[in-house]
Amino acid sequence: MMIEKRTRWQRSITGSLVGIGAVGFVGCSSVSPPHEYIATGELALRNAQMTNASQHAPVELRMAMEKLDKAKQAMRDKNYVTARQLAEQALVVAQLAENKAHAEEARRAAREMRARIEALRREAG
Amino acid sequence: MIKLISCRSLMFMAIGTALAAFSGCSATVPSSLDRARVNLETAQRDPQISGNAPLALQDAAQAMRRAERAWNDTRNKEEVDHLADLADRRTEIARVMAERKIAEGETQRLGQERDKIVMEARQHEAERARRQAEAQARVAEQEAERQARNAELVSQEARAQARDAEVARQQAEARAREAEQARQQAETATVRITQLEQQLAEFKARQTERGLELTLSGVLFEFDKATLKPGALRNLSPLITFLQEDPERKIVLEGHTDSVGSDSYNMELAQKRAESVRNFLIQSGIASHRITAHGLGKGYPVASNDTEAGRLQNRRVEIIISNEASRSASIPR
Repeated sequence: MMIEKRTRWQRSITGSLVGIGAVGFVGCSSVSPPHEYIATGELALRNAQMTNASQHAPVELRMAMEKLDKAKQAMRDKNYVTARQLAEQALVVAQLAENKAHAEEARRAAREMRARIEALRREAG
Repeated sequence: MIKLISCRSLMFMAIGTALAAFSGCSATVPSSLDRARVNLETAQRDPQISGNAPLALQDAAQAMRRAERAWNDTRNKEEVDHLADLADRRTEIARVMAERKIAEGETQRLGQERDKIVMEARQHEAERARRQAEAQARVAEQEAERQARNAELVSQEARAQARDAEVARQQAEARAREAEQARQQAETATVRITQLEQQLAEFKARQTERGLELTLSGVLFEFDKATLKPGALRNLSPLITFLQEDPERKIVLEGHTDSVGSDSYNMELAQKRAESVRNFLIQSGIASHRITAHGLGKGYPVASNDTEAGRLQNRRVEIIISNEASRSASIPR
């Protein structure tokens, strides 16, 4: 059954991010650069771009790209907390875009199947 | 464990409170956290989402716990707003994923329905083809029956014609047999008549206007006698047969003599001779009314009376057979 078809890396991204968060946020300052967050965000965005998200979820896709760009800019500014937050946001928004694209494809498949049945019924009628 | 967590929480809370003063952290629960919590619980209560995207909902719940823990640990409003937003996004992802599953499930169900329709259409088509084949078979059967009936009619007609032909043939045979019989009868009659005629010819028969004249010459009678010689009886038998064959005919007997003796005597002798023949014929079964006899004497010689041979010829009885039954044979000379 296709209950929540998610790739292994996707799950590991989510898990690792939640894990990193769970480790504890010791303080508001003195944070190391969040290279992993940037990488997983980029991965999620690339994955979303491989779907029809530009067609079915253009707003989310553009938002994910912008957030990732801003995260990289924050990295360059050594504003690491902001960089992590933006990278995390880029990730979930990219995943949302990807899922919206999949959902729209599924709805389209259902519509096509319904139309095919209508045609068959008319043919048989 | 609980004790450990609570200890750690207390420590974090203490640190968080301490940091709040110089890092923009707040003490009141951010609205973003409440909103994310409400959205998550709404999604969790929705059986469509919990049923179709349980893992995504778990991710959302985990993100929610992270945000809440961050709030409890740090009171860092900006960070908690960020984490609450992440949890909210994860709830939305779960919702979208559930929509996807529902659509996929519907596609699958519709696919099964389509298969069923196609199958039914095929069955329908097969049924239609079967019915059509049956109808064609019925038509062929009826046609065969009709042809068989026609053949039977033709056969009956042929048998009737054969019977008619047989009847006609038998009739033709019967007619042929009848014709053959008639022909044979005719032949027999012809033969008999020919025989009779030949026999009568011995009497030197000659056709005259009075009828057929025969002459029973002198050989029948002795000189001066009226009685028939025994041989004469045999000579008369063709005449008797002729008369028996043709019962309508009548005859006239004329007695003649030679010139020896007186007229009256010869007349009487001639009469006797004719009577003698008549009696003989009557005795032979010829009806008396058919025979007339009279003597004519010596007045009608057929040969010279100067010679014995001539006189022998003149001693005679002439027989006149009437041509037709109705006509009287007694036509006078």
